[in-house]
Amino acid sequence: MEIYLPVAEMSVYWLAVLAIGAVVGFISGMFGVSGGFLLTPVLIFYGIPSPVAVATTASHMTASSMAGAIAQWKKSAIDFKMAGVMLIGGFVGTWLGVWLFALMRRTGQTEIIVSAGYVVLLGTIGGLMLNESLRAIRAAQTGKLVSGHGPHQHNWIHRLPLKVRFRQSRLYISVIPPILLGFAVGILSAILGVGGGFMLVPAMIYLLRMPTNVVIGTSLAQILCVTAVTTVLQSVQNYTVDIMLALFLILGGVIGAQLGTRIGARLRGEVLRLLFAVVILSLGAILLWGLVVTPRDTYTLALGGP
Amino acid sequence: MRLATVTAFLALLFVPASAQNLVSGLSQDSIRITSNYTGTEIVVFGAVEGPQENTKAAPRDVIVVVRGPDADMTVRRKVRVAGIWINRDAMHFTGLPSYYYLTSTRPASAIALRATLQHYQIGLSYLQPTTESTHMPSKAEPFRQAAIRERENAHLYTERGDGVEFLSYSLFRARIPMPATAPAGHYSVEVYLLRNGTMLGANITPLYVKQIGLERGLFNFAHKQPFWYGIFTVLMAGLIGWGSSMVFRQA
Repeated sequence: MEIYLPVAEMSVYWLAVLAIGAVVGFISGMFGVSGGFLLTPVLIFYGIPSPVAVATTASHMTASSMAGAIAQWKKSAIDFKMAGVMLIGGFVGTWLGVWLFALMRRTGQTEIIVSAGYVVLLGTIGGLMLNESLRAIRAAQTGKLVSGHGPHQHNWIHRLPLKVRFRQSRLYISVIPPILLGFAVGILSAILGVGGGFMLVPAMIYLLRMPTNVVIGTSLAQILCVTAVTTVLQSVQNYTVDIMLALFLILGGVIGAQLGTRIGARLRGEVLRLLFAVVILSLGAILLWGLVVTPRDTYTLALGGP
Repeated sequence: MRLATVTAFLALLFVPASAQNLVSGLSQDSIRITSNYTGTEIVVFGAVEGPQENTKAAPRDVIVVVRGPDADMTVRRKVRVAGIWINRDAMHFTGLPSYYYLTSTRPASAIALRATLQHYQIGLSYLQPTTESTHMPSKAEPFRQAAIRERENAHLYTERGDGVEFLSYSLFRARIPMPATAPAGHYSVEVYLLRNGTMLGANITPLYVKQIGLERGLFNFAHKQPFWYGIFTVLMAGLIGWGSSMVFRQA
């Protein structure tokens, strides 16, 4: 059976949408990411107009990060102060991103910027993860310990002004890096429809040197707020959030996420990261192919004026 | 009412007085878009009254055109820059219908002269959009053709020359598919009667395609109160996320 999407003004198979939500939810639960970077391109492949795909993905991530954040909050693994500071940058970044997105729509380069952005992002993250997980697997086979990044006590971040104490993270650092981090993730969230967890988590560990046990919870709390604000801003600025599409994606997503979390917990970390890297790189390769291959028709049509 | 329709309608006032009477109707005067709407089909039927003969020497033809509300369209041309295809030139068109379905007893080009078809905008090749005056017609033409081609591929523009059938001496019928992607709005159904290439009569009937119930409510909500619509969506997402963590914790 099909359902009619009132904002996208098209009908889709509701089971297909539910399944897309479930598969993305499964992957996000398994690898502990919000899954936006997967959902947006998949929706575009399925034929949802890209402005609607980007904006509606934000609401899907609101639901999945809500579920995740509650679990982390119960384990008191959220540094609310850190999340709050990052949100200052996050809100400005989101606002700027939504505005940039509207500008991109006017110039007609949305598809290209979104695709190219994904290729760069997925290629970089996927490549880094693939490299890291292969080294870890090889090291496990030879029985050697991997010498990770040693915690250098003082990097450039510790020389910045406006230092604040973050009790839960046991840190005394400047507020500038978290604000900038939040800002960058906010822009990405609005333009590419990603939550940014896959960027936030490594940045919080390696740049801010937060303890691992609060990183996931804090990033989820931050993503929850940013995607919620993105959803509202996209609704107001671009009228592109489709609530019917969101409903079915979210319902599929929360079920998939629970299954994914359970199965992910049984797999070894480096195997999990290797699988994830392969998923990311293949998606990036498909999108890159779409950018370089000669289109069937060099003319494209979009509804709407200049 | 749109300019094209008005012009076509006014033109009919000057149809020769010997006009045979043409009556036509629709199987339904409105199409309702509900949550399980997947497109539908309308039937246009009619009768040609008065003395008539359908002879080889003076063939009698009926053309049915369904036009959707006008839509603003932007056509962009991709060019390859450093190996990547990016959008370069763009052209904005107004006055093209969002949906166009033409069907007739014979291909339109065989029914009447080019001038007649052009006058009534009968046929995809005669759909003339307005564009910025700064552009030369020769530059706009490939963009116009691309717009029509893309709409044809999306099954939103169709021209076929065999869909109107005469059931009896005077009764005719045509089935018009309405895909789910055809937007809501005011449509017009035009029926033309021609003999030997001469326009003898025409009818215009309105057809309303509208979202009703929940779909209409959500569409209006999204466009008229976008802030609260966004808040509502976030609350829905948050509640489902919270609910799922409750349900699965129990399980």
